[in-house]
Parts: sequence; C-alpha cells; structure tokens
Amino acid sequence: MNPITKKTAIPMTRLLPAVLVALALLLTTAANAAAPGVTGSAFQMTAKPAFVSQPDGNAVYSWGYSCDTGGSPTPFGSAGTACGGTMQVPGPTLIVNAPASGNATFTVTLTNGLPTAAGNTSILFPGFQVATSGGVAGLLTQEAQPGGAVIYTITVPSTAAGTHSYYSGTQSDLQVEMGLYGALIVLPSSTPAACTSGIHGTNLAAQGIRNETNFRLAPAAYNHPGACYDREYMFQFSEIDPRIHRQAEEQILAAGNCAAGGAGCGINVATEPYVPAYFMINGRSMPDDMDANYAPEYPHQPYNGNPHMHPGELVLLRIIGQGRWQHPFHEHGNHVRVLARDGNLIASATDPTHSLAGPLLFTTTTTPGMTIDGIFYWTGKGLNWDAFGHNTDPKKSGHADCVPDGNGYYTGDPGAINYFEWCQDHNKPVQATPSGNVASGGPATLPDPNIFANGAWFGGSPYLGPDATVRSVGSTGTTPPSGTIANSPTDEAGYAFMWHSHNEREITTNNIFPGGMLMMMLVDSREFKIDESN
Amino acid sequence: MAIRKLHQVFLLTLVVAFGTLAAQAQSFQIQCPTSTVTHPVAANNNSEPAYAGPTYTGTTGYGTQPAHVNGAIKCQQISGGDGFATMGDGTQTYLFAFGPLSGLADIANGLPGTGFPKDFNTLPPTTLMPGDPATANGLTANSWPSYPLPTGAFGWNGAVGLAPDTDCLANPTCSATIPANGLDGHVDPRPIMDVGVMNGNMPAPLMAIDEDDEFFLTLTNVGQVMRPDLFEQHTVHFHGYPNASAFYDGVPDASVAINIGGSFTYYYLAPDAGTYFWHCHITPPEHLQMGMVGQIYVRPRQNRWVGSLFAGLQAQQGDLRTRCDSSDILCSNPLPAVQAVGPDAGNDGTKKYAYNDGDGSTRYDVEYPLQIHGFDPNFHFVGMTFNPEGFTDMKDKYFLLNGRSYPDTVTPGPLMTQTTDGLVHFSQPLSSIINIPAGGKALLRIADLDVTEYQTLASLEIPMHVVGYNAKLLRDQAGNNLDYYTNSITLAGGESLDVILDVSDTAKYPSGSIFYLYTPNLDHLSNDAENFGGLMTEVNIN
Repeated sequence: MNPITKKTAIPMTRLLPAVLVALALLLTTAANAAAPGVTGSAFQMTAKPAFVSQPDGNAVYSWGYSCDTGGSPTPFGSAGTACGGTMQVPGPTLIVNAPASGNATFTVTLTNGLPTAAGNTSILFPGFQVATSGGVAGLLTQEAQPGGAVIYTITVPSTAAGTHSYYSGTQSDLQVEMGLYGALIVLPSSTPAACTSGIHGTNLAAQGIRNETNFRLAPAAYNHPGACYDREYMFQFSEIDPRIHRQAEEQILAAGNCAAGGAGCGINVATEPYVPAYFMINGRSMPDDMDANYAPEYPHQPYNGNPHMHPGELVLLRIIGQGRWQHPFHEHGNHVRVLARDGNLIASATDPTHSLAGPLLFTTTTTPGMTIDGIFYWTGKGLNWDAFGHNTDPKKSGHADCVPDGNGYYTGDPGAINYFEWCQDHNKPVQATPSGNVASGGPATLPDPNIFANGAWFGGSPYLGPDATVRSVGSTGTTPPSGTIANSPTDEAGYAFMWHSHNEREITTNNIFPGGMLMMMLVDSREFKIDESN
Repeated sequence: MAIRKLHQVFLLTLVVAFGTLAAQAQSFQIQCPTSTVTHPVAANNNSEPAYAGPTYTGTTGYGTQPAHVNGAIKCQQISGGDGFATMGDGTQTYLFAFGPLSGLADIANGLPGTGFPKDFNTLPPTTLMPGDPATANGLTANSWPSYPLPTGAFGWNGAVGLAPDTDCLANPTCSATIPANGLDGHVDPRPIMDVGVMNGNMPAPLMAIDEDDEFFLTLTNVGQVMRPDLFEQHTVHFHGYPNASAFYDGVPDASVAINIGGSFTYYYLAPDAGTYFWHCHITPPEHLQMGMVGQIYVRPRQNRWVGSLFAGLQAQQGDLRTRCDSSDILCSNPLPAVQAVGPDAGNDGTKKYAYNDGDGSTRYDVEYPLQIHGFDPNFHFVGMTFNPEGFTDMKDKYFLLNGRSYPDTVTPGPLMTQTTDGLVHFSQPLSSIINIPAGGKALLRIADLDVTEYQTLASLEIPMHVVGYNAKLLRDQAGNNLDYYTNSITLAGGESLDVILDVSDTAKYPSGSIFYLYTPNLDHLSNDAENFGGLMTEVNIN
C-alpha cells in the first residue's frame, strides 16, 4: 500500500540510463492504456479464487476471472502477452471492434475453476445476443460445471459501441459480490471527421509536442461527432461485505475436496443483511486506487483510478455500477455530459446526427449493472482571474500570449504552456497584494499560509503549474519545506479535484477515513508530462 | 559546533523574516471590497443593474473596456463550529455546524444571508450578545417566544466583528490606503466569539447570488466548545461549480483548510445559473452527517433583462463566457428550438426564472430551497462524546427537510434550541412550508446531502414539473426542452434538482387548499422511535 502515488516528469537528459532501461522494458512488456484491457476475437477466462488486498491490511477471499494465455487476446494497441492466467477483480476488460457493416462475433470460453463446492458459474453479456455451446443449462444461460467449460459467442452489430458490463449469471447475489464481474468495450466502426480535426487535432499535437503517448482506445466513443475524446478513464464501482466473503471462505474450506453433486458439497452463504465495509473503484479502495495499473502490490487488482488531464482535453469517463448498491459518483471541477447509457447513445430527437441529448451531471449515479459514458473537461473558463498567474509586465517571466480562437481559448500554439488558456481572463489578477512575479491589484487578499493546514495534493499556490507557482511563491510553494507531497510546486503543481462517492460514508475503508470510493483527479499544466503507461 | 549555531541563528532570522512578511493581518478577518477590477464603480455595486448586453463582446477580454458592467458584489460571513438542533421528537441533537456571522436578520427570517457591500460593511447598532439575534432581540419587538426580557426588533445584517482598523487609521501612511471609515476587513474577535460560538445552524446559512456577481464568502473557524479534544478544520466546497479552481474548491487535500482561530475568504465569479449547494469537505462522512450542509443558488441574467426572452438569450451569445452552442459540450441552455409566444415570451423586468431559458419555461413566482438530509442519532451522540464514530453501521433515523422533520417542517419561522451555554440560539432558520399564491408557480430548489442513502420526495396531487437537474437546464443540444412531469423525484446525496409546482389551475388548486410533499420511503416517515414524522411538509395555496 503506497499512500501516495503520482505521475512524475523528470528531465530526460538527467536520467538517460534509467530511460534506456525503461525503454528496453517497454520493448518486452506491454504498454497499458488508461482504460487497459485485452483485445481479440476469442477470449479464454477462468473463474477462480484468490485474495484481494484492502488498504486496512485485510486480504479478502474473492472470486474473479483470469485472462488465460490459451486465447488469442493481446493487450490493446501493442504486441505481446497480457493474459497470464492470474485471477483479477474486476475481470479483464474486453475490447472489441464493431464491424463496418453487418455483424461480427467474438467468443468467451469460460472455465469454472472455482472450488467444487461453489457449484456452477456463467457469464451474462447484457445488451448482446449470445449463443452458447457446451456446459449445462442454467436458469439464465448455459453454465460451466466445476472443472468444466462453456463457450459464449457474442454478436456485435455494426451499430454497437460504448461501455458494457458482464457478470456472473449464476447465483448472482453471491457470485457478483465475490468479484465475478468485468467490462466490455465496443469501439465504434468509424471515426467521425470532427474527432481528428480542429480542437482534437491540436490537442493531439500538443500531446505529441510534450512527448506524451496517446493511450485512448479510439478517437470517438460512438459514431457521433459529439462523442470525440482526447483521453479516457474507466471507473467500476463495487462493494464488499466482508462477512459474506468470510462465510464463503469458511464453507469452502469445510467442504474440502468434495465431489461435485455429492452430499454436503455446496455452500449456503447468507447474502442478507448486506453491510458492506469496503467500497471500491476498479477493485481497489483509496489510496490503493491511485497506484499504478498492474502495480505488483495488488496482483489480483490490476486496474487503477488515477485520472490526469490537461486543460481543454475532452475526457471520456466509462462508469459502471458493478455492485449491489447505487453510488453517487461526484466529479469535482465540472459537469459530465452523459453520452450514453448501457452503450445506447442519447441523441437529440430532432437532430440525432449532430446533437446530444444526455443530461449534464455533476453527480453521475452508478446503478448496478448499468454503464454511463460521459465527457468531462476542465478549462478554468469563467474563473475571472488568470489561473496561470500571468503578468502584463514583459520583464516578469510570466509574460505570455493568449490569442483567443473563436471559442475564446488560446489554441493557436499547441506548444505553449498556456495552450487552451481562457483568454478573457488573461493577465487578470486575483490577489490584491503582490507576491513574487504574478500580477496583483486583484479582488482577493490571499490568506497567511502559516495559519492554515495544507493538503497533500495542494500545489503550493492558487495557480496552475510549476511556472506560475514558483513565480508567485517560490519553489516550496506556500508550505515550506515540502508540505505538498503528492503534487509538488516545482514538478506538477496541478489542480487536484476529488472524485468520489457522495454517499460519503462510502469514502471509508472498514470504518477508517479516508478510503473507499475516492481518488484525486489532477488537471495538469502542459509543463507536466502525463504518462499513462502505468 | 560554532558553524551549526550560526546556521541556527540564520534559520531563526529567516523564520522571523518570513513571519513578518507573511503576517499581513490578524487571523480573523473579512473581505468585502466595495469595488474591484471587475466592478470598478463602488456606487454601482450595491444593487443589481439591469442586463443590457454582454460584458465583453467577441474575443475581447481583460485589459479592454467592457461593453457593459454586469452584476454586483456580494459578501457573506459564516462561522464553522458546533451547535444543537431540535428534532421532530423534541430531542436536542449535537451538530458540527456552520452558523451565520453576517445577514443575521435575513437568516433568521429564512432568507439568504448574502449581502451587498453596503449591507455587509455596516457596524452593529448595539453591542452584540452571546446567542444573538436570539438573546438581545427578537425578530420583531417583544416577540421572542418565552424569552422574559423586552426585546427590540432585530434588523441588522452586517458582518459580525466588523470594526474600524484604528491602528491603521492612526498611521497616516496606512490610513491613506484604506477607506476613511477604517472598514478594511479588520475585525474585533470578541463579538465573533460571542456570537459565533454555539451558533450552528441546520441547514447551514442560505446563500444566493446573481450571475455576473463577484462573491466573497468568509469562513471563520470559531472552534467547537463541546469537543475540546478536537482541533477540527473546516472548509467550504461549492458543490457543482463548473471550472472551479482547486484553491477555492474547499477540498482540504487539494488546497488549504482553515484552522480554529482563522478566517479564509473564498472568491468566485458567480457560475452559470442553477441550484447548487455547499458543504464542509473535511472528513465528509463525519462533517456532513453532523450537519455542515447548506444551499446556494445562482439566479439567471434573464431576471435582469427587459424585453423578449429570446432576444435576451441571443444577447448573451455575444459574450464567449455566456454563449452556449454545440461548440461547448458542457453547456445546457442553447437558444430554444421553438420561440415562445404570448405573455411568457418576455420579461418586464419583474419576472423570475430558474435558468436563462430564452422561452420562459422556467418562470416562477416564489422560490423555496428544500434540503433533504438524514441524521443518525447514534452517530450524533457519539459525535458529542470523545469516542471515534463508526461509518459502516451509520443508519439515519431522522429524515430532514431544511433541517427539520415533520411536524416541525410546518412550523413557521425559525426554530430555537437551548444549548449548553444556557442560551437559546436560532438553530433551524428555514421552515419547510411551501406557500404558493393562488394561480402561481413555485420553484422548489431541491438538494440532497444525505450521506448514507437515496431519498425520494413525492407530491400528492400537484404534478412536479422537473426543469433542471444538477444545476443545469434540461434541454438538448438542438434546443429541445427535456423537462418532464412526475409525482416523485429521487436523489442521492450530492445531487440537486429544480421542480416547479404549477397551481395556475385555480379550479383544481383553489385558494386555501393544502397539499403534501412526503416520502414514499415509508420508513423515512418517522422521527427515530416515533412512527409518524420525517420527510414530509405542506404546500399551501394562498
């Protein structure tokens, strides 16, 4: 458990040997996207038990899916093997492409590697036509008996796109709680022209100038010009009631290596009353969720929740309710435009090809089994002060251009550190009294920092980015000597926003605050290189 | 050895130097400038000017002369501390709470405590007493219930603690830099402690601003006398503000948190019109459950526009900050697809709207903030002791509309609670009675701040016309309204919604009739052990 994780920018020249080693590693291991997963047309997965890690030190007996080496899947966007057969919660994110026309299919071969006493298992793919072969008949679909397998053939029509969930269809009240769930992403069959030109073109150019690798799965979430995006993150919400997991573990142990169908070879776990104590995003509780994807500390919880973005980038949020409860996911910093529910685009009734009709939400409720695709951005528009701390005095180093485009943003120079600045407030001061080389004469008397408590993600000044922060208050920020441990004034100095469940008791881990469904999203100035390779 | 000593002396000197530099003022202070860069003429900042056109046109901005100066300056001061509230079954419940430290008379009258500089920067007429305005004065003379002393009418809305900066006035160099009356944000801490300690309110003080306003909100942490073991910091998170800065977002992890004995002034240009809310962001499962939750709403520019509403919204397209079209995926009020006709198509300058709708679809006659919340009595009891509270077993048993449960929801005027200082304090200033003029429309600005579960509020008979959600107009990018009718709404903690109750059909909703808002979560119609109460109130047709 690392309490704090950050993405760091280090001058390349200083660390050339380390960079070379990292490059060599990159050649042999997969690069991981911000919504990491596997792609292919034939996936092999095994339901099996393992212990997942919680930040209070608890190891919780769980069931999850592994992505097995026998299949053809590859990590998205690069060569190599992603499927090592390790059980994971959530299950592997399956990424498939919608065909240009007609229908395509992919298969999931599910092997039941659960203890015999756990009985049969299966997978549902809500929203899709599924054909099955093998296994035995279950209530909702064909099931795999202990040690056996079943093959699901899923039809993906050319109109399909977006984020979907999959989960166990056998004794779901227990098996989903135990961890048998995952995500399915369908990439649209075509890319709208708007997604590769204009703002999205310059945003991509700006990432390239800063040597950032673009890790989005596609330029658009749907075949719609309103569904373009520059960056993306996945958030799967679930809970754990430790009593249920403990009871399951005890009964499985007691049953031992019993014979399937034999007397006493079964478990009977009470799934009510339901008192969850762990509240997870992508299978991890805060602060573990802010560690890297595939961090070795959490072999069975590979996916993180650690979003970063630059001003003006349109960020796709893929949100899934995988637990039993609804969770109000509150995104600090701006609203989210809902694109779609359960992979169904919500378009205007009168102008469906151009206009969106999904609501704008600052709290996106996750509902069990339901997915939301939404677009978020942050620009600082309307702050009424210059977030970059610019100064009209050309002798001060903050002097910079801000030439507004037709929407009022500085997008003419993708290499500028104030690329996408909101120009109406350019040079407009916020602080009344001078400090450093930022403009003064503004409306607000900034407080004496010595009488306040400083947060671990406080960038050290009211301003965005190391340049503005150092010019305003110096290299330590207002918190000498190193109060901002996760977002240092000279390195990142981003604007940190808490993204969390607003049923606030869910931002706890087994009665401990902070924890649970909570992460810090960082808006980083262009000086900071956002590296999503981990 | 000698070298180390030298280092120590040097360090000490540095510390002293920094301390001197940084200590610009005392720890308690307020801010309410009479003019700013954005609102340069002080005389124009004490009322809302009519909206005559865009502030900036085209791509112009700061540094060029604005075409129009819109909006004004608004200020408010709140305390962060503790207090007690009275539940529907008579139980006194301990709160971590915000209380009013300005706009006291307005707050006691159930109004927003937000004021123009001329209101905020007004010295009190008499010495303020602990428990004010409850102890020294009633709302109207001699009216304070069961209080033995003759009382005067309380009508003062200034900032508690406000005092001339006499030290600065005595120094010619300094006095030249501040207003002649010496009101430069300096405060006398004694009245702040006298009034602020144990003056917690549930809900927290109401705030309301207009689009284009600059808002200065000062949070003053007076400490929690019931919990001397705690050194709780507090903050204000403006929930739902688009494009907030992390610095003023009120998240202690991402900014600064205000210690006991300190003041911090949050500064915002009013965001897009809508129903927002605010709360402390320190240990949210604890501080929100304990009561640090309030409402804030932003009124639209359209209220200040005279003429065709469509033309008014067209005028707003002239300023890139207020423009809304498909180039911005996060704006909700493009020009309406269908232009309104008839009496609702224009504003004579007196009509009120929830959003800049351009078609009058969100017009209302009266507005009511309605905050949904829940209290777990066990958590509040443990919160009053020195023991740590558990979160997993949190279970709300009081279900609150504006901090009250039925039948207190239908008690007019503020509720008072006697607290551990022996004095009665205004504890729950907002009644939940909805009074609609016959034939009129009421806007319910509903916010849910429950920390444990979703809550449903239903309307018997009068349909709920939902026009806004999460502080945004319900309209698609092509300009089609997506408003809908329902008889119940369900919200999570952290959501808001705008409902219009339209009783324009006086045959169905005649004067004198009473209707009900209540929760179909039937176990929420209770006050702890009492089986009838909870989340319910009355709608009166006047």
